Amino acid sequence: MNPYIALLISFALCAIVAGIMCGASWLLGPKVENKAKSEIFETGNPPLGSIRGIRFPVKFYLTAILFVVFDIEVVFMYPWAVVFRRLGWMGLGEMAVFVAVLAVGLAYVWRVGALEWD
Amino acid sequence: MEPSALGNVASLAYSLPEIVLGAAVVLLFLLDLVVTRKETLGDVALVTLALVVVLSARLLWGDSAALYNGAVVVDGFALFFKLLLALAAFATVWMSLGSREIQKNGTGEYWAVLLASTLGLLFMASSTNLLMAYLALEFVSLTSYVLSGFMRHSRRASEASLKYLIYGGVASGTMIYGMSWVYGLAGSLDFRAIHTALMSGQGAALPLYVALLLTLAGLGYKVAAFPFHMWAPDVYQGAPIPVTAFLAVGSKAAGFALMIRFFFTAMAQSVGAGVYQLVGGVDWSQLILVLSMVTMTFGNLAAVAQQGNVKRLLAYSSIAHAGYMLMGFAVLNDDGLRAMLFYLTVYYLMNLGAFVVVMLVANSTGREDLAGYRGLAWRGGALPAVAMAIFLFSLTGLPPLAGFVGKFYLFAAVVEKQLYLLAVVGVLNSVVSLVYYARIVRTMFLEQPTGGEGVVAVDWHNGLLLGLLTIGTLVLGVAWGPLIDFAGRSTHFLAY
Repeated sequence: MNPYIALLISFALCAIVAGIMCGASWLLGPKVENKAKSEIFETGNPPLGSIRGIRFPVKFYLTAILFVVFDIEVVFMYPWAVVFRRLGWMGLGEMAVFVAVLAVGLAYVWRVGALEWD
Repeated sequence: MEPSALGNVASLAYSLPEIVLGAAVVLLFLLDLVVTRKETLGDVALVTLALVVVLSARLLWGDSAALYNGAVVVDGFALFFKLLLALAAFATVWMSLGSREIQKNGTGEYWAVLLASTLGLLFMASSTNLLMAYLALEFVSLTSYVLSGFMRHSRRASEASLKYLIYGGVASGTMIYGMSWVYGLAGSLDFRAIHTALMSGQGAALPLYVALLLTLAGLGYKVAAFPFHMWAPDVYQGAPIPVTAFLAVGSKAAGFALMIRFFFTAMAQSVGAGVYQLVGGVDWSQLILVLSMVTMTFGNLAAVAQQGNVKRLLAYSSIAHAGYMLMGFAVLNDDGLRAMLFYLTVYYLMNLGAFVVVMLVANSTGREDLAGYRGLAWRGGALPAVAMAIFLFSLTGLPPLAGFVGKFYLFAAVVEKQLYLLAVVGVLNSVVSLVYYARIVRTMFLEQPTGGEGVVAVDWHNGLLLGLLTIGTLVLGVAWGPLIDFAGRSTHFLAY
């Protein structure tokens, strides 16, 4: 018999148990509909108009992306630092090229104003 | 670590085209900060690509080699595609320098991103490792999203870019999932190691089939083959015209290059005399055959129904052409591959040429709809109208144009393999395609301008490119010998 059959049975049991629980509460539970219940929950206050048409700035995404770029750079540097001696001058040269390319990127985003908040 | 593959330092001598291209990308970003006349950057990009073409061509006389511990390879097949892709990028940069849409925007990033995308294409054509292939493909995709949404204040371009991003994300996610299956079955991401594992009977056929289908999603999306083509019409229509041409020619060719190398070196076994045999018990050639028929039929029928935008029509036509090229894939031998390589080159000339005409009309009148081509020959645009007619008839496959020769070799390979159904479907599709190509020609020549369309002027810069592409299409229609020989010599993969 396939050793994974136990896993399959376990999946099936999970699905059945979860199905029974959800199904039972859906079938047996009382349903009371009123306006207060169907309103959007907003810390207990009545909502102030529609949420459509409200624009909010997403300027932070650019900062976040730049952060990720330089964050990953550092992540890449850790394993490099561990084997630094074994890589020798070649490794240093490779990292220099890598950092130089990123530095050009940083200079570029700085100069075109991507780091300004406004 | 493969014993016969070169290490990182030794590989550098074989990577001059890529090194030059990479350095140029960094240089362009720096130049963008100090140079105020942005056309200068375009000139730098043009010179760089000319240099890349020369450097790639120089490697033709060198040896084949596996580079970077077996991640990338330099062989005849890779070099053929590197030349084709660099030339495609060269023509795109040339087009961009003469494009109103690009000039109006006037940012320097465009050139750097375009060259970065070309760099990714070169790696797609030469990678022999699924991870490397995926990285190259993803790099091309990411830069393509930026390029197609380049006209930042155009709603249409933003829509194109977003749709491309979403489709691309799904396709590449599916693909990498498929690759994980391949890894699970073969125990390696290296094409050669996958091949060895499959030869030794490792991996059951059904999971392998699933893995292939999933992987095909990403590749099919790049070449715009049938179930993965949905992005093409919207993106082609929304992107700036030179970028559309780049996607239609460059992206597609690189997608085919990767697809051919993966399927032929990992999933097939050469049995001599240019014939391949399937390994791993998965009949993917049958799958490609069906895909080919469905793709061309869908592309052509959708194009016939297309009455409005000419760029959109060319998008459906490019889907159909992906179908034609897949025919050469399905026959599983060197003749088919040779026909495919030849067709890709011809397709580069004629399709790019058609986009140059579209750009000329858009430059002068700002129009891309079919009505904007009414009586084009009679309002200053005689030269582009004649060139467009040549390109469109070549795309249909009428003699004595290059497209005819390309189709002839494809059909010859299919008939020789006795795949008659595929041949019949292909011929019928060519007939159907005449309907919509001829419709454009009729609009340009037989209809009179109503006066509101505006005059189309041709400047020397775009005229020269148009002339070169037209001459190429005409010359390859009568003297195709050297190119088909070169394509024939380029069908060999390095078995290191």
